[in-house]
Amino acid sequence: MSTADTRQGLHVKDLEVAYNGVPAVRGVSFEVNAGEAVGLIGPNGAGKSSTLLAIMGATPRSGLVTVHGVDIAGLAPEKVVRTGLALVPEGRHVFTELSVADNLRLGAVARRDKSTFKEALEYVLDLFPILRDFGHRQAGLLSGGQQQQLAIGRALMSDPDILMLDEPSLGLSPTAVDSVFEALDVVRKAGKAVLIVEQRAEFTIAFSNRTYVLHDGVITLSLKPEDAENVDVLTEAYFG
Amino acid sequence: MNQFIQSLVDAISAGAVLGLAALAIGLVFGVIRLANFATGEIITAAAYSLILTWHLGWYVSIPISILVAVGISLLMELAVFSRMRKAGPATLLIASFGLSFLLQRVYELIFGNNVRTAPVASELAQSVEVGGIRIQMLSVTTIVLTAVLLIALQLFLTKTSLGLQLKAAAADFRTARLVGIPAGRVIGLSFALSGILAAAVAFVLTVQSGAVGPDFGVRITILALVGAVIGGIDKISGSLAGGFVVGFATSMLAAWLPEGMTNFKDAFVFVLVIAVLLFKPSGLLIKGRGVVRT
Repeated sequence: MSTADTRQGLHVKDLEVAYNGVPAVRGVSFEVNAGEAVGLIGPNGAGKSSTLLAIMGATPRSGLVTVHGVDIAGLAPEKVVRTGLALVPEGRHVFTELSVADNLRLGAVARRDKSTFKEALEYVLDLFPILRDFGHRQAGLLSGGQQQQLAIGRALMSDPDILMLDEPSLGLSPTAVDSVFEALDVVRKAGKAVLIVEQRAEFTIAFSNRTYVLHDGVITLSLKPEDAENVDVLTEAYFG
Repeated sequence: MNQFIQSLVDAISAGAVLGLAALAIGLVFGVIRLANFATGEIITAAAYSLILTWHLGWYVSIPISILVAVGISLLMELAVFSRMRKAGPATLLIASFGLSFLLQRVYELIFGNNVRTAPVASELAQSVEVGGIRIQMLSVTTIVLTAVLLIALQLFLTKTSLGLQLKAAAADFRTARLVGIPAGRVIGLSFALSGILAAAVAFVLTVQSGAVGPDFGVRITILALVGAVIGGIDKISGSLAGGFVVGFATSMLAAWLPEGMTNFKDAFVFVLVIAVLLFKPSGLLIKGRGVVRT
């Protein structure tokens, strides 16, 4: 790990990912600064999830990724988390056989400051009160929306500066999606950076400070919140 | 009736020891998808340690055998499996076969082809009479030892941070790493625990036979692997339950098959295995057909 520059937040430059020689992400560059939300949208297979996994060190990649100016090349996922990044994976992936409380405890394994565990737990339980009520319940018995809240809560327990979410609305009811995005707004307003990968374009564009459209592994458009209601822009975003 | 109860206690004991062996395999499989056939050679190493050091006293011999088992287990991980992280389960299994054969030859070179003998805890080989039923002390000891180990393991997995990390990694290794659980730590831990369980298995088998040879751990490992698969090797509890079922069934068949057919008891067990795999291919304790993990 070497110091590249002194910028805060997440900076991605010329990110490339390939599976068996087939490119999935081609020269993607963007940044996410403290207190802002950035969206990454695009159709299935556009390279959105690959981008997140590559940033986390969970899949081989080339290009420069810095967190607070520090190059995180070659770091394993468990070490990337300790730099201040956290990922809520697609499909939630809570530990279904463990209790809600144990899932949250595990989220704190990578905390840089262990002494503030209780404060972090209170923060998460205030953000998602349902998790307080269901502390001893097996995570696999929660509804999809509750599991998503738990997955976000677990990620927040590592005290990330940058929270990344892969399709947080997938399979959730409209009400559950609303509550997830309300919580993300609170997180953003608390000064954390949020990077959301989504297929729900309107929702993401309206929520994010800016949204990038990914097509075949390449960023083709950058959108502002007001573009959310512009049908032409949305059509362009999805169909090129 | 008395004979039935005696055979039941023996079968529970046989199930318990095979359950422990299957658990030793399942713990590691859960984390790195390795069905470690060379677990048999960890058992063998622990058994040699017991046989060769028993004269020093049980309080020296048993800790030595545990240390040897844990040491060999960790050495396997460091020297072989840690270099194969990107290999699939089939490649890892084949590598463990190779390691198993290699270690058997190494034991042969060091200790010779003949069995080594020593009266390890021979007092446990005796029987006691309880209410007119003769019960082997070793069967009772095995059941108690297994219960103590399982309770300790359960407490470790549920009450300690390290245990929870291992449990999470065994359930979903990729997500565990994304959450921040260090891969090296949980992998090492799974091999160490596997070594401790293998040492317990070695103790019971060594007391039973009083002799150890280079292929001492092979038969129980084959049965334990089979047990782990039919129970559901994807789940720690599945491996344990599957191992227990196979051990229990083998012992009961040995006791109750007509004379002249007992030699075929393993064949009957494998018929049971085939039946389970036909109807529940992902294992008895896994819901549905199981999940393919990436």
